Amino acid sequence: MNYELNAEQNKNKISTWGAIRDLWPLLSGERSILIYAGIATLANSSINLIAPLLIAHVVDTYIIAKQFGGVVTFALILLSLYGVGLFTSYAQTRLMGGVGQRVLFNLRTKIFSKLQELPVAFFNDNKAGDLISRINNDTDKLNQFFSQTLVQFMGSIVIMIGAGVFLLSIHLRLGAAALAPAAVLLIFTQLISPWVKRKNAASLTAIGGLSAEIAESLNNFKVVVAFNRRDFFRERFQSVNDASYKTAIGAGVANNTFMPVFGLSSNAAQLIVLVYGAYLITIGSFTLGLLIGFLSYVSNFYNPLRQLSALWSNFQVALAGWDRISAILQMQNDMTILPVMSADVAQKEKAEVLTFREVSFGYANDRDVLHNVNFTLERGKTYALVGPTGGGKTTTASLMARLYDPSKGIVLLNGRDIRTFDPAERTRKIGFILQEPILFSGTVRENILYGNEIYKDLSTDALMKVIHNAGLESLLVRFDGGLDARVAISGDALSLGQKQLIAFMRSVLRNPEILILDEATANIDTVTEELLENILKKLPKHTTRVIIAHRLNTIENADEIFFVNGGEVILAGSMEHAVEMLLHGKRES
Amino acid sequence: MTSTPISKPPNIFSILGPYRGMIILLIVFAITANVLTLFLPKLIAEGIDLYVRGALNLSTFAIQFGEFTFAIFFFTYLQSIVQTYASEKVARDLRSHLATKISHQGYRFIQERDPSKLLTNITSDIDSIKMFVAQVIVSLVSSGVIIIGTAIILITIDWKLALAVLTIIPIIGGTFFVILQKVRLLFKQSREVVDWLNKVINESIMGAALIRVLNSGELEHDKFRDANTKARDLGVSILRLFSFMIPVITFVSSMGILMVVTLGGYYVVQGSMTIGSFVAFMSYIVVLIFPILVIGFMSNVIAQATISYARIYEVLQAPDEKDDGKLVGLLSGQIDASNITVMYGEKAALKDISFSIMPNTKTAIIGPTAAGKTQLLNVIAGLTFPETGEVRYDGHLLAEYERALFYPQIGLVFQDSILFNTTMRENIAFSKIVTDESLKKAIETAELADFLHTLPEGLDTLVSERGTSLSGGQKQRIMLARALALEPKILFLDDFTARVDAQTERKILANIEENYPGLTLISITQKIVPVEAYDQIILLMEGEILARGTHSELMRVSPEYVQIYNSQRSTSTYELRT
Repeated sequence: MNYELNAEQNKNKISTWGAIRDLWPLLSGERSILIYAGIATLANSSINLIAPLLIAHVVDTYIIAKQFGGVVTFALILLSLYGVGLFTSYAQTRLMGGVGQRVLFNLRTKIFSKLQELPVAFFNDNKAGDLISRINNDTDKLNQFFSQTLVQFMGSIVIMIGAGVFLLSIHLRLGAAALAPAAVLLIFTQLISPWVKRKNAASLTAIGGLSAEIAESLNNFKVVVAFNRRDFFRERFQSVNDASYKTAIGAGVANNTFMPVFGLSSNAAQLIVLVYGAYLITIGSFTLGLLIGFLSYVSNFYNPLRQLSALWSNFQVALAGWDRISAILQMQNDMTILPVMSADVAQKEKAEVLTFREVSFGYANDRDVLHNVNFTLERGKTYALVGPTGGGKTTTASLMARLYDPSKGIVLLNGRDIRTFDPAERTRKIGFILQEPILFSGTVRENILYGNEIYKDLSTDALMKVIHNAGLESLLVRFDGGLDARVAISGDALSLGQKQLIAFMRSVLRNPEILILDEATANIDTVTEELLENILKKLPKHTTRVIIAHRLNTIENADEIFFVNGGEVILAGSMEHAVEMLLHGKRES
Repeated sequence: MTSTPISKPPNIFSILGPYRGMIILLIVFAITANVLTLFLPKLIAEGIDLYVRGALNLSTFAIQFGEFTFAIFFFTYLQSIVQTYASEKVARDLRSHLATKISHQGYRFIQERDPSKLLTNITSDIDSIKMFVAQVIVSLVSSGVIIIGTAIILITIDWKLALAVLTIIPIIGGTFFVILQKVRLLFKQSREVVDWLNKVINESIMGAALIRVLNSGELEHDKFRDANTKARDLGVSILRLFSFMIPVITFVSSMGILMVVTLGGYYVVQGSMTIGSFVAFMSYIVVLIFPILVIGFMSNVIAQATISYARIYEVLQAPDEKDDGKLVGLLSGQIDASNITVMYGEKAALKDISFSIMPNTKTAIIGPTAAGKTQLLNVIAGLTFPETGEVRYDGHLLAEYERALFYPQIGLVFQDSILFNTTMRENIAFSKIVTDESLKKAIETAELADFLHTLPEGLDTLVSERGTSLSGGQKQRIMLARALALEPKILFLDDFTARVDAQTERKILANIEENYPGLTLISITQKIVPVEAYDQIILLMEGEILARGTHSELMRVSPEYVQIYNSQRSTSTYELRT
């Protein structure tokens, strides 16, 4: 599967209705509230419609006839109407706004769950900055739509429809004439909306690019400074900034076409009504009072329409953002959990803990890194993977932990296809210390207990006992403040070696059946490394260790040594043999 | 650096200064469009009055009305275009300023500021300022014009009624003031919650591999849910205030209309007001209410932009890295560090470090994890500045050198691999001064030639962000080639050998010696055997120099050195053979 979101086939072009259909499930559970909100909106809009009607009636019947008593009566009616409006308006905003907030909550949760569901390959194929922009910036566009626009949207549409019905019912032909500019507007909107959305999509893509560029440059700033290429940073930033500027202008101009045109049509409608209405009065089929009322209905119809023009461009922005978000939501994890065969369940614990059977693998669009690899790891033994850089050691380890699935062949864990294990069980059995240590901001304690279900709630004393038993005390003292030492993910407050120590402790405390160390101690000094070796030796007898390292002392205690190179994983008979192969074996990198 | 007191940011409106021309144009268009709009109801009213008297010339009226309509359309459109350009220009320039500012900063500034927060500054914070420029100016100007204009017109029509009706404005203003006071606090909180959300999302993206190895998706989900729930609750709190405010304001405005109906109706009945004036009054009162609402909403945008501007201003006001020096001399390779102390908070990462390095020599820095080796390298290379002490190259302070001429003379190979999402060629020939020849030599020295040949597009192959398809050793050798391509006088290696196999390492070091004669080498390393013959070995522990000298000297005088040596001896038989 191609996980690249910006790849042409993964780009989304959803129609307006398609997007509404996709967004609809997010509203499930909100149906009853939507109905109440609908009622409140309807009531509120009715008040907004009836009031001018009453005023027109007052003008026609009482003011022109100079009967003040009627005016007072209707003023009281109006007052009570406005009083009711106070509540309906509150209910409308409150209910619809609440829906918007909850929808946004569900949407964010949905995206986050999707991210958790997708495999490592997805994160390799996409730039972090662009992903962050999609999740932060693009959902914010939807947020603005849901929290601000939607309420007004509903209200405006109801008022408009009501005003339109009134216009037609008061005088069909005059009403139709008044609505004619709106019909033209509808066609106009239909025609330019796709263009507006395209412009906004281009702008959002450019913002994603800008975000990706800044994220990269800032994370690589050390090299920028040390190679005196501040100009490189500025130039690259300039180009994405310019691109973002140009597309934003395009989007802005597109979004702003609605407003003046809507204003124009509103005024055109007024003119039509005035001229045609005057004519109708002349021929005696209309009254002046009605015309004044009619004019206020025209503005009742066109004012919300004018608001809709602003909302409509917001809507187009939100749709463009939604496209980028749903590109993530539509990603499918191709690493599914296979059903367990009954024959597998019956299998007893065997000596073989992990087997590669005719395994081939290559990263997306690349040549094979592993080719028809076969080997078996036995319980309780220590294995070393050696070989030149780029030979495929990390890839082999990643397949053991099922970060990727082989393109051909099968990986067996305890004699069972590794794909049949659910993630919780698999990760409990396999510990993998990655080449690049990953920490979270917090304390050392939080980091070494990260994802540890068993020890997470231990008291400090109990935890210290566990750490003592595992022999990790000697490592913990290397942090000022011990368990409570602060960990900041950026910055040099912790050295790479210290980060590796934390990652090491984290994995050992999980007590896995297979522990894989991928150059996990590369930046740790040799004296400390001896401590680590002792800790590894103290692991339970049945623990299988897989060690990838360049330093020969870290692998000399291995029971078996595999030489990994050129897509092959070959068993080296002895340390000498392995060294021999390292020296004279064919080189791949 | 962050502790420097920051002067209070100037008023948000001050950012408009450089764009005076555009803003004036914008204001002129906005005023014109709105004044014209104001005249429309008056036009209609006059038309009706004329019609009642039977004096209306319909076609003249229609043409006049049409002219007004078209003029309004024209100016609104111009205004929207200028508005777009102005806001995007401000945003682009501010982003550019920020980037330029950041590009002049040192490495430590970026680390202290936190790259992810700077990213928010350049994206979200600028966005809210853009909103400000795009909406606030036009809205304030048009609302002001409409409110004042309407008030004047109302007063000219009937001053008694007008004064009565205009009492709603202070009532509405008061409501806004009370509610917005409360909302502002919530806005600030919700910005902090968004920062929190972003942090959780960022960490879950950066830590994707680990989360899958540990199956800790659930845990991340919990963290996310906490932040997301808080964001929703804040959203609802803000909503609660708004859903209270909007009906109240609408109700007060409706009271204005009611006043016109009763009081105005009374005047008409009395005969002191024409029916045309009454209709005009009705239309203007509707026109009056909307801009009041707009000003209220704009004060939100202003509040948000002010918060954002303060965040950006803080970055813009941060002191620049020390001035560039003037010295342009060629480096010989002599380095003298004296009394260097570096603090990390309370703790000293380096304590009173002094040593000298002679030209064309090899120096190794050895020491346990967290001894301060990398910090020392950063100080010597001028990436961070020590609290006390100084670094001299050929007797001159590092700061005296012109950076553009100094840095090409030193090659830095960091322990963490840093790659750019561009071609392999641009990653290696990262400096502009690199010639094809020096590029070729660097690639061969770093033993990368064979690997590059296997790539379909060779040097023009694109490196993905974070170099995901490259092995640790390949990345590290690209970093080395990048440093060597500068043809440096001094080469710094930070744990370069950690991810390269022993044989390749040996070859590379031999290549360096052969291809770059006269190079001064400073190597941070864990392994003693490869550096036994070095001119100087510095043993660093807990930020202090424990011992300094040649291998044989250290073997005599330093028990700690002997301990490290012994820890490696078990394999030295193999190391020697290879």
